[in-house]
Amino acid sequence: MGVRVTSGRSLLAAMIGVGLAAGVQAANVPDLGPLPPIKVNAAKAELGKRLFFDKRLSGDAGIACGTCHDPKQGWTQNKPLSDGYPGNGHFRNAPTLVNVAHKKVWNHDGRIGTNLNDMTREMLTEDYIMNMDMRIMQERLKQDPEYVKMFKDAGYGEPSNGSVRKAIPEYLNSLTSRNAPFDAGKMSASAKRGLKLFKGKAGCIQCHNGPLASDGKAHNTGVPENFDIFLDPNNHQAFIAFAMFQGIENYMNLKRDPGYYNVTLDSADVGKFVTPSLRELKYTAPYMHNGMLKTLNDVVAFYNMGGGMDSKKSLQLKPLGLSKGEQKDLVAFLLSLSGDQLTSAKHVWQGKYPAEYPVIENWKHVRN
Amino acid sequence: MKKVIKFRPVLLAAVAGVMVATGCVAQDAKRGMSGPPPLAPLGPPPIPADNLQSPAKIEYGKNLFFDARFGGDASTGCSTCHEPDQGWSWAEDISRGYPGTVHWRSNQTIINAAYYGKLFWAGSVTSLEKQAKSASKGGVAGNGENDIMEARLALIPKYVEMNRKAFGTEWPLVEDGWRAISAYERTLVQRDTPLDKYLLGDKSALSEEQIRGKKVFEGKGGCIQCHNGALASDENFYNIGVPGVKRWEEDGLAQITFRFELYAKGSTEEMYRTLKDDPGAYFRGKNKWDMGKFRTPSLRYAVYTAPYMHSGQFDTLDDVVDFYNAGGVAADGRTTSFPKTKSKLIKPLGLTDSEKEDLVAFIEAFSGDEIMVEKPDNPPYAPLFTKAELQAAQEAK
Repeated sequence: MGVRVTSGRSLLAAMIGVGLAAGVQAANVPDLGPLPPIKVNAAKAELGKRLFFDKRLSGDAGIACGTCHDPKQGWTQNKPLSDGYPGNGHFRNAPTLVNVAHKKVWNHDGRIGTNLNDMTREMLTEDYIMNMDMRIMQERLKQDPEYVKMFKDAGYGEPSNGSVRKAIPEYLNSLTSRNAPFDAGKMSASAKRGLKLFKGKAGCIQCHNGPLASDGKAHNTGVPENFDIFLDPNNHQAFIAFAMFQGIENYMNLKRDPGYYNVTLDSADVGKFVTPSLRELKYTAPYMHNGMLKTLNDVVAFYNMGGGMDSKKSLQLKPLGLSKGEQKDLVAFLLSLSGDQLTSAKHVWQGKYPAEYPVIENWKHVRN
Repeated sequence: MKKVIKFRPVLLAAVAGVMVATGCVAQDAKRGMSGPPPLAPLGPPPIPADNLQSPAKIEYGKNLFFDARFGGDASTGCSTCHEPDQGWSWAEDISRGYPGTVHWRSNQTIINAAYYGKLFWAGSVTSLEKQAKSASKGGVAGNGENDIMEARLALIPKYVEMNRKAFGTEWPLVEDGWRAISAYERTLVQRDTPLDKYLLGDKSALSEEQIRGKKVFEGKGGCIQCHNGALASDENFYNIGVPGVKRWEEDGLAQITFRFELYAKGSTEEMYRTLKDDPGAYFRGKNKWDMGKFRTPSLRYAVYTAPYMHSGQFDTLDDVVDFYNAGGVAADGRTTSFPKTKSKLIKPLGLTDSEKEDLVAFIEAFSGDEIMVEKPDNPPYAPLFTKAELQAAQEAK
């Protein structure tokens, strides 16, 4: 009996799906829902928090992780393209780090599918991001008595590169959505209508599914290129350096971001980008991998038109025929996936960093 | 038979060593055969067969030498630390480094670097091309990565053009950038010093005092044992007793770099934990008998390159001469942390005050006029594509 009821529902949902513009297996995807809790080791996360906001973790000590992932700007930067390392620009929008620990794949092109330990290494050492020689980083940390104590208290022993790559992810584990109306069951009537559209007529859930509202897969939605990548030589140099280092052919003539092609080297994947989570969108404008859409209204309007122009655009995208009111409801629902801003001392390091590295006294007679 | 041949040079060297140590150098030099090569006028620099000079290459290299974008965060290029106003070197004990760091050794002048077969204080590379590469990439030097530096060159139209003239490739390659810089550096030579003139026959080029100093240099001072030939360097490695960098005891930033260098250059755990001085040439073959040895520097252009020694511990040439006169001990009593490898050539010299003055006067004869150049303006970046081209590409997606 129960089985029958279930299949009946699935069938019904599938029929609704077909009937709607997007028309796909909306019912076969994981449902939205609350994020599972993550256990956090307090001492390790506290250490990670101090590291995250410490500019001494970049090559020229000019930027910290928190520079481009700024808590006050939704743990991203509210500009289309990230700043990148001093001396160059960047070619993609910084993604928020709230819920980053729930992801299974990182970077807009999905080039890291292992864990946050590897992501931390990638961000610290890439020349156009933080350009840090981690051997220097290790010695900087050992020169700061507060770190020496914190690493020890966290059970890591003396400061080391390996422990940094564990402590920062542990801290990132603590950056998860809090009190989102969707999770708290406090959605407005408009948001509730939006949720229906999200799962139904608008077909968003095809890709934006599961607790994170992301399938973790790459799709081509036809987002227009951000010409500033190519017209600003500071951004373009970061893009060229990236493409050259990744081994993408003909990088000097590229006039578009190849996206997921970087991972598969299959031309069918040019222009695909990993579905981002929809949580915390309220704080993370502008949107898309290159920041080309300024507002959530723009994003909904973009999908309502069936996405952008690209011969390889996903067949899942079709004009949706949403009314103005429906679009408004959809935006209301999207906003209900955003919780409290994580800007208090619980998540943001409030302490000062020393202006100079203290000298190790009696240097000749103590062990390094 | 083979064994005998093998051993003979060693024996000879040992004998020569004894003679040198007992102060017979000058006589040996006069006799020719077994003594060190005499001082000589500096000829044209050697040009490697795989990187021939051309005006286009030199011009391109000069521009790159003075462009800080040829480094990590576009703040630190060759000339940032090899500052022409500071003897094409850096006038502090240890060189300034990449922002957020300090170096760990004294900065060496670019002038006449073209003649060295062993570059860097520990002789870690054998060509200017590799020196430029190492310096622009090192974490406490240029901290640049190949890809970002190469990308920057491509976005500077003047460099694309200069590179095409010099190397013929459509886009500049970072390796060719270092080759161009090396070609430029091979023009930064000084061959008309008072000493060169003197050795070429102009006996008025040296003062009486300097001529007396030359005698001390070649005789009682024993300087010529290592500072010989046209470059005034035998390019061998010695531990002459120079103390380590005092700043390591007083400056947190310098302590960071010290440990980084030990770690990065390859040390045993015990060395990393306990060493408090620069092991120098040890890093080449990891042989303990090379601890604290450094490649003999040229004395040319030394007037402009204070402070002196690999650790920059002496502010003046007088201090340097006093150090040698004391047998390789600084005025404050500091000396090398590796006494076991200290050269037997270094012994108290017993020079009188006037001999020391003469010697310093003579060392000054290794320097001519200060070499200054007009720094080129850094040409601007420009986009590679027009908006119309990007628009067309967008529509073709």
